[in-house]
Amino acid sequence: MRIRSLVHLAALNLRSDRRSTLVNTAAACVGAAALVFFVALGMGVGQAARLMFPGDARLLEVVPGAVSLGDALGGGALDDAAVARLRELPGVEGAWRRLSLRVPIAASRAPEGVRMNWPAGFTVQVPVVGVDEGLVSGDLARGRDFRDPPPGQPIPVLASRRLLEVYNKTIAPAWNLRRLPPGLDLVGLQIPVRVGFSIIPLKTEDKVYDARLALAGLSDRVPLYSLAIPVETVRRLHQEYGKADPGYSSVVLETRRPDDVPGVAESVRRMGFAVDEGERAIAERVGLAITVTAGALALLALLMTALAALAIAQSLSASVRGRTRDIAILQAVGATAGDVRALVLAEAALVGLAGGVLGVLVAWLAARGADAAALRFLPDFPFRPETFFSFPPWLFVLGVGVSAAAAVLGALAPAALAARVDPARTIA
Amino acid sequence: MISLRHIRKRFRDGERDVEVLHDLVLEVARGEFTAVVGASGSGKSTLLYIAGALDADFEGDAVVAGRNLRDLDARQRAAFRNESVGFVFQSFNLLPALPAVENVMLPGLFVPRGTPAPTLSQLRTRALEALDRVGLADKASRHPGRLSGGERQRVAIARALLSRPAALLADEPTGNLDARSGEGVIQLFGDMRRDGVTVLVVTHEERVSGAADRVLHLEDGKLR
Repeated sequence: MRIRSLVHLAALNLRSDRRSTLVNTAAACVGAAALVFFVALGMGVGQAARLMFPGDARLLEVVPGAVSLGDALGGGALDDAAVARLRELPGVEGAWRRLSLRVPIAASRAPEGVRMNWPAGFTVQVPVVGVDEGLVSGDLARGRDFRDPPPGQPIPVLASRRLLEVYNKTIAPAWNLRRLPPGLDLVGLQIPVRVGFSIIPLKTEDKVYDARLALAGLSDRVPLYSLAIPVETVRRLHQEYGKADPGYSSVVLETRRPDDVPGVAESVRRMGFAVDEGERAIAERVGLAITVTAGALALLALLMTALAALAIAQSLSASVRGRTRDIAILQAVGATAGDVRALVLAEAALVGLAGGVLGVLVAWLAARGADAAALRFLPDFPFRPETFFSFPPWLFVLGVGVSAAAAVLGALAPAALAARVDPARTIA
Repeated sequence: MISLRHIRKRFRDGERDVEVLHDLVLEVARGEFTAVVGASGSGKSTLLYIAGALDADFEGDAVVAGRNLRDLDARQRAAFRNESVGFVFQSFNLLPALPAVENVMLPGLFVPRGTPAPTLSQLRTRALEALDRVGLADKASRHPGRLSGGERQRVAIARALLSRPAALLADEPTGNLDARSGEGVIQLFGDMRRDGVTVLVVTHEERVSGAADRVLHLEDGKLR
């Protein structure tokens, strides 16, 4: 039997039993809609969470051990020798130093070139950390250096990519400051600062001078509430202000593959250092929670699809029993058992396809509705996404495909039943 | 055209075997209109189903339209039913959900592999021609439920003729028809015979057997 004949006859049969067709299509629609809706929700929330917690699965932050037996076990301060040893660990691709600046820096004026209602006399203490260029080189804007500048030149800084969002959604509303426009190109922005000045009484250094920080890029590898400057600049400022150098605050290890992280972490601990799970752990936990939740919802949706397939199977079985004579007539005019089987499967596939297309449409509309409701009823918060759903093109194909496949699977038994009809006995 | 030799057919009736056809022999020449008459339950329909390859469970030799039916597997039997014979049943056996023209198109939807298949529009045209031949071109879009008994049987004949079969096998074709409709059907059989179609009718009605070239009586499982 040719495909066009098969589809023609299947469509005629479905049209002749409209009620049953509608019920079966509705069942397939519910299954497909649930599947697409929950998978899209899982992926959408996952994307939003990755914006909030941009954990890099290959990064590991090493900090000095809480209790150290010093050089006896190889632990102690994170100095250059320790960094060299960490770099040699199996699975480690790079070791990047971080050094917190112990000289206070404060900003008392708005960044140059940005219209802000900076309150008069308002001073912000700026937490600063020195980092190796290698850690953030991929995030530097084109043509920007990240090295200790000559005297009088602005110090290059990198800010967390998330800081702008946090500022606009949390800091600006709380302090009644002007929000920065979305899409603003912050690179090159210069922030006037006073080096050595602290807003905490008695913490201001004897020497205070004006300097400028120049934004060289945005990076997810910079702590959220700090600005990153070259580690050499931090060392220079420490020397300038006579600050003792107890070693690096932390060392960020970049492993070759995410799977290397547990082994490297174990080696690090054996060396007497600690591993700061920090944001990475949060990102992992959030990611795991989202994966588990989305997986559970998708499983529920698959269950609904399976139930839809069962409903279709039951309905088709009843239909086949009711059409035994019709099937015998088809066999009398030349249908083979395979033709009869294919016909029942084609009817199921058409129902599944129609239900799948409708289901995808319903899921998309429901997602739009949920987004609209979220926009209206949820308070604004940092990284609140425009949509909580993600609809990649393959998801539409998946929804329709799973629906059709489930319907066809459900139709296997009825199709086999139909193929067993004995035409002579039935017609007689 | 139809050659049945030493045909035996048994049915299981509860605990006992009943032999309904007993060493039956039938020869029908090409273009011959043959009627087989006999009492109800004498095995007339069984004979027809064997000749039409609907029933493959028999003993003996059956050669119809040049094909030895015992040599055919299920797929080949289906192809044989599609290409070589057309069935007409007492109860019409039309699909009630389909309009007349779609019912007539049915055999064309199951053209065996390896045979050029007509397009749906070509098939529709052929079905309308077949309906025109039985005088029902104007009722092509009607469902069987909106046709009279005689009209339904003519639709069934049009369906049987769609594939231009070598043989038409009719099982009590006028059994559910009034006298006038029955006459119309008998006349159609006569027209087919003139067109070279071999017609084998099983019936218990004299008006049908009276129109046949030859009348055979089925008694005790044998033809006389």
